[in-house]
Formats: sequence, C-alpha cells, structure tokens
Amino acid sequence: MIVKALAAAAAALVIAGPAAAACAHPKTSLSYLEGQIMCPTCHTTLDMSEAPAAQQIKAQISKRIAQCWTAQQIENELVGNFGQGILAAPPHKGFDLLAWWLPIGSVLAGAALLAVGVWRWSRTRGPDDEPGEDPLDPETERRLDELLAGLD
Amino acid sequence: MTRTLKLTGQAIALAAVAGLLGLLIWRLTHQTHPPKIGGPAPAFDLKRIDGTGKVTLASLRGKPVVLNFWASWCVPCKGEAKMLEQAWNQYRSQGVVFVGVDYHDVSSDARTFLSHHGITYPTVQDGSGMVGNKYGLTGVPETYFIDRQGRLVGSHIIGTITNQAAAFHDGIEAALDR
Repeated sequence: MIVKALAAAAAALVIAGPAAAACAHPKTSLSYLEGQIMCPTCHTTLDMSEAPAAQQIKAQISKRIAQCWTAQQIENELVGNFGQGILAAPPHKGFDLLAWWLPIGSVLAGAALLAVGVWRWSRTRGPDDEPGEDPLDPETERRLDELLAGLD
Repeated sequence: MTRTLKLTGQAIALAAVAGLLGLLIWRLTHQTHPPKIGGPAPAFDLKRIDGTGKVTLASLRGKPVVLNFWASWCVPCKGEAKMLEQAWNQYRSQGVVFVGVDYHDVSSDARTFLSHHGITYPTVQDGSGMVGNKYGLTGVPETYFIDRQGRLVGSHIIGTITNQAAAFHDGIEAALDR
C-alpha cells in the first residue's frame, strides 16, 4: 500500500515537474513580441495574423516565455530558424543601423538646409525690399506731392 | 553663399533621385521569375533538419529528384506524408531521391512532424523561404520533379499529391526519363 502511494507520488512529481518549472516571473510577454515578429507567410506582424504559420510561432513564443526566456533570446532563436526577415524592425547594429539613422539624418539635413536657406533669404532682402514699396518714378512722385498738398 | 547653398541643395536632390532610380533598376533586374518546366531547377544549399550536414541540389546531379515543400503547420501536408513515404520506399531502389523542404517552419515542430509521420527521406530547412521563393512557391504542399540533368520535368503539383496521384507518378517517371 505504502509502495503504491509512493509510486503515485513519484509519478505525480514527474507529471507536475514541467508545470512546477514554469516561469514565475516571465521576462517578456506574447503581446510585446507579437508586434516585433513577422508572420513569414503573410508578411504582417503576428498580432495582425491568424495564419497557421503565425499561430505556430505564437505557440513557440508562449512556450519560451513559460521557460523564462528573454525577448532577445526568443528573437535570436526565431532569427536562427527563419532568418532576419522574421524581425519587424531591423537590428540596431552593423549595416542595418543605416535603416534607423538614414531617415533621421535626412530629416535633420533637410531641416538644416531649410533653416540656412530661410536665414540667407531674410538677410538678402532688406526692409526696403518689401513688395509694393518700389520707389516711385519722379513724375508720379511729383503728382502725388501735389495731390497731398491739395489736401492740406 | 546663396549660390553654394542652391548648388548643394540641387546636388542632394539629384543624388536622391539617382539613388531611387538605382534602386528601381536593381529591383527590376533582380526580380525572381518562377522556373519553367524543362528549364534548370533552381539550386539550393540547405541545412538538414533530420540530421547533420547539408543537402545541395548540385550533389544530387545524376539522380532523379522529387522535391516536396511542406510545413508542420500545413494540414494537407499531414494528409500526403504517408503517401510520400510509401513512394520513397517504392522508388528509392531505382535511384530516385526524395527531398523534403520544410518551408517557413519552427524546426522543433518540423522534427516532431517527421517523427510522427515516420518520414525517412532527407529533409532540409528553408526557414527564410528563400528557396521556396526561387521555385515560385504559392503555398504548401507543392511538389517538383527534377531529372538527372537537373531540369524540372513533369507537372509541378500544387496542393496535396493524394488528389493528384497520376500526375505524381507521371512526374517521377519523367524524372526517371522513361
């Protein structure tokens, strides 16, 4: 009887083992990674896809989260399996850095160019260059003076 | 100063347009077209998922090849697995090589699939889908037949072979050049 009870307890431990080993404090979440990982067959992020391949990757991510893997570890495993194309955003290193810095650099360069252009334009146009303030020809000026004098 | 600024702006705009034009030309010249029956089968060099090492198409030159694209998440692939394994056992003595290409799949799930369905022919991993794209794959399962000269022969089977058994066996015969 005691032997049977011990055997049952041992069996229960074996069965409960993986569950007991589940991560108490997960290091990342499925909802976060769903936005970081692409569905390889439908070319949208996982959170936008219900395709079988996406469901499979979501299940894999959930399994790894339960094993206390970090987001980086999970991403590395998926990159090893599917290649860099599985990531929604390019990594912040090497040649891929260009994808991050090129747009920022372009916007900054454009803004700087615009600022210098405006500054130059405002300097070359003096206060006398305002539209509609061209000097009057002598004849018009004389007639205007006469008209103004007539008003006095 | 203003003139320099204007010239710099024009140079930058010109460079941007030239860059975009270059990208367009590169894209147009590097488009992949699906291979034609009778033409050369696209080469591949992929890691085995059922063991160690790699399989290259070049290493199979001189042998008829049945190339089956599948994935563990693909329901019809489960349906044709048994028939593929049976055909492999039927034709292997005639020198036909079956190669499974696991497409866009999680490798641990793929191994479980292979073990569950008792697949014994070599299987390689195409996780990124690059080889599938070279073949013009529209989905899985799809099956191609390659003759001893490395040319695509027979009919390219889209979908499960269980519904297209005659085309499947004709494809193998075409690969055997009979």
